Amino acid sequence: MTQPALTEEQTEPRLQPPSGPVIAARSPWQLFRSRFMQDRIAVAGAVTIALLVVLALAAPLFKLVVHRGPNDLFGSTMLTKDLGLPKGPNGRFWFGGDTVGRDVFLRTIYGLRTSLTVAIIATGLASLIGVVLGMIAGFRGGVVDTGISRLVDIVLSLPILLFAIGISSVCSTSPNGCLHGLLQPGLSLVIGIIVLFTWPQMARIVRGQVLSLREREFVEAAYSLGARPSRIMLRELLPNVVAPIVVYTSLIIPANILFEAYLSFLGVGVPQSTPSWGRMLADASSGQLFTYAWWMLACPGAFLLVTTLSFNLVGDGLRDALSPER
Amino acid sequence: MMGNNRRKLSMVGLALVVTLLAAACSSNKNSGTTNQGGAGTAQKGGVYRTALSDFGFTGGFDPTGEYLGLAWDMFSTMARTLVSYKFVAGADGNKLNPDLATDLPTPTDNGLTYTFKLKPNLKFSPPVNRAITSKDIEYAFERINAKPLVAQYGFYYYGVIKGMDGNATAPAPISGIETPNDSTIVFHLTKPTGDFLYRLALPATAPVPQEVGKCATKAGDYGRYIISSGPYMFQGLDKLTVSSCAAIKPVAGFDPTKKMYLVRNPNWDAASDSLRHAYVDGIKIDVDSNVDDIFNKVQSGALDGSLGDQPPKTILRQYLTDQNKKKYLHVDSGDRTWYVFLNTTTPPFDDLHVRKAANYVMDKAAIAQAWGGSTSGQVATHIMPPTVLSDQLGADFDPYGSPDHTGDVAKAMAEMKQSKYDTNKDGKCDAPACRGLVMVNRNVAPWTDTEPVVVTSLAKIGIQVKPRELARGAAYQTTQTIKNQIPVGLNAGWGKDYPDAFSFAGSIFSSADLVATGNPNYAMIGTTPAQVKDFGIKVPPGWVAPTVDSDIDNCQKIPATDPTRVTCWAALDKKLMNEIVPWVPYLWANVTTLTAPSVTHYEFDQFSAEPSLVNIAVNNKEKLGS
Repeated sequence: MTQPALTEEQTEPRLQPPSGPVIAARSPWQLFRSRFMQDRIAVAGAVTIALLVVLALAAPLFKLVVHRGPNDLFGSTMLTKDLGLPKGPNGRFWFGGDTVGRDVFLRTIYGLRTSLTVAIIATGLASLIGVVLGMIAGFRGGVVDTGISRLVDIVLSLPILLFAIGISSVCSTSPNGCLHGLLQPGLSLVIGIIVLFTWPQMARIVRGQVLSLREREFVEAAYSLGARPSRIMLRELLPNVVAPIVVYTSLIIPANILFEAYLSFLGVGVPQSTPSWGRMLADASSGQLFTYAWWMLACPGAFLLVTTLSFNLVGDGLRDALSPER
Repeated sequence: MMGNNRRKLSMVGLALVVTLLAAACSSNKNSGTTNQGGAGTAQKGGVYRTALSDFGFTGGFDPTGEYLGLAWDMFSTMARTLVSYKFVAGADGNKLNPDLATDLPTPTDNGLTYTFKLKPNLKFSPPVNRAITSKDIEYAFERINAKPLVAQYGFYYYGVIKGMDGNATAPAPISGIETPNDSTIVFHLTKPTGDFLYRLALPATAPVPQEVGKCATKAGDYGRYIISSGPYMFQGLDKLTVSSCAAIKPVAGFDPTKKMYLVRNPNWDAASDSLRHAYVDGIKIDVDSNVDDIFNKVQSGALDGSLGDQPPKTILRQYLTDQNKKKYLHVDSGDRTWYVFLNTTTPPFDDLHVRKAANYVMDKAAIAQAWGGSTSGQVATHIMPPTVLSDQLGADFDPYGSPDHTGDVAKAMAEMKQSKYDTNKDGKCDAPACRGLVMVNRNVAPWTDTEPVVVTSLAKIGIQVKPRELARGAAYQTTQTIKNQIPVGLNAGWGKDYPDAFSFAGSIFSSADLVATGNPNYAMIGTTPAQVKDFGIKVPPGWVAPTVDSDIDNCQKIPATDPTRVTCWAALDKKLMNEIVPWVPYLWANVTTLTAPSVTHYEFDQFSAEPSLVNIAVNNKEKLGS
């Protein structure tokens, strides 16, 4: 057969330098990618996350296939007659039923949607607030820095869980939620609570980075060229703090997934109609039910473990790939 | 009581929880599942060892104020009253008997005067060691009448006994109570009160020696050194010095956060007490916040039985399926109804059709399953448990029935079609009033498991609720604050205070029961226009509250001894279900108790709806020093 490669080979020697290996200039992105791809574990984590995201997006498809939703009750078939104890996995209900005869598989998949939604939105908002405030504090210094830094200190010193439970309870006791109905118990309140308690770490990290960067020559150069502070922050400083932002963001995502699970486990998270792993675990442990209905604990528990582990592995991989000097 | 909070309720609400938890189960004599544990013969001796997750007292265990069912159970060991119960299960346990009194008097003076003679040889426990006189009983009423002592169910006496209004600043003689001699006491009433004898069986009326009682000037204080008139007393009570008020200290055997240890009262004369067998030599109640641990200990024999807490389903399952264990499972009627309340002041529940539709559509079978199946109780088909109505109105009266209690969607939709809130008449509520209704719930099982069933059921007729899951206390406070106008809630349960339906229906459906906070009349039955203004609530235009005030008054005029009284209450229940529809009642709950093989005779006290501490026998060799 024809061998076009041969033709290339023939032409190759003319293009090559006389001796030595090829030295190609690689962009930071290429460097990062090749380092990350060498980290097998991180790649495995990223693949798992991708699968989980697909699973979460596909949840409504499962609903169409099995003709039932995550909140539909099957008490007559999935609970024992005598005591109303849940029945285990079978051909129709792959992960068995829960305390009121709901499909644990569907609830686990929908719980994944909840976890990812909360984690991504809350982490995104927290990062945004943290980056903006951290950047301003670090760059401006002075009174602004003091004000923001003290605020960070105050928020970080609050007993997070107690506060979260408190806010959540208070907003539940009045019929209209709190702040004149602005905060209603549910997903948005959970996201709000998580944002409230996770932005300060981000702000602190960004501030520290900016503090050292603003003394560097390229910033002085920009100044001397007459750049406005906003331009310096956005065009000079921000690109240089992207690495820590990405790494830290990837690490607080799993923390926030767990935070949502804690809140729901304690009964102050999302309502029952929104499936949540924390809530499912709480149901399983109430009255030591898991000693009998192991699937109620095992299924959401395994998913929670896999999800947070994957995010953590990817986070570690990102850190290694972005800051090889460590 | 419990769960049945009344006016002083905000406190009671807290207490409730404990009782409610306990009350979650109970037997129903109808179900016939009550077991007698162990072999038959009861013998004296041993110590009944039990534990509970939390006492949850509402009034520091001071009989004057304490409104917790479990506490009333404990009072049966140390606080005898003029009349009382046999502290046994079923209908027999709901019958009045003379206790300190020689017999049950017939009222004279057109039902306005009750005269009692005290039995001879009645004596207070150490360290008082003197005869119990009619003046000690009168003193108990002085305490109920003293505002600072917070008698939580004083409303049973205020305005009923002459001279009692609950506003006295300190205990002082009451004009309507005479004690012509040490063994006679006469009550003068302001109005005929058919169930007055039942009110004299409540623990607040037990004799209190004035020389000790006068030292307890704050609500709850006396609970720490109650001088016993019954077969048991606090461990260490005999070492109490009562020579001066300053010397009186809480006794060693009782710490509300840790334990209550009871030993025999040497001054109790068994011959004077036909109601209490007092088999055991001592009673040891420990607080163990880990409910699972309590039931593990009962299984291992480290405890003789459970008290107040309900076994988790997993443990219940072992006892139901294992023939060897089954005899240690005791299920008795709690004389209690659990229900979804519908607030008639808030749309769409101001419309009778909507309230009826909610009753039709409710899948009560699924709720019962969430509570633990038939062991947990019987599906409630009307307001008052049949046991409270002497079985005159049973489960066969089921105005919104459906096969297997799974709900009748067709009838519900037909009812909804007649409502103004179903504008297109398709059987589903489509008005904005039916969307986003706040539904208060508690945040623990079985209420959390009940919630999806209620949400799903109501959705079938187009009512979309927003559940709010709150801790027990917060749930009660929120729903019992009228201004909140919570449209619907499923945290509500009510148990009898005494075996007359007045302590049931009469207490929670009358306009007199409406109070701004701690309001047990969630459905706002009988609200007058003046009250609407007082409470500052918004009601739908042209709204008129459904009312049963006159029906309650009519029934209340009939003496408790007259069989037509129960018939009257039964008719009221029917009217409530057919014409008023304040609730969706869903469960008549049982009380479930587990015992160890060491319990040779188990008994249930129907009055408090808890295990009968004075009639349980054990064969262990435990000892409890004085």
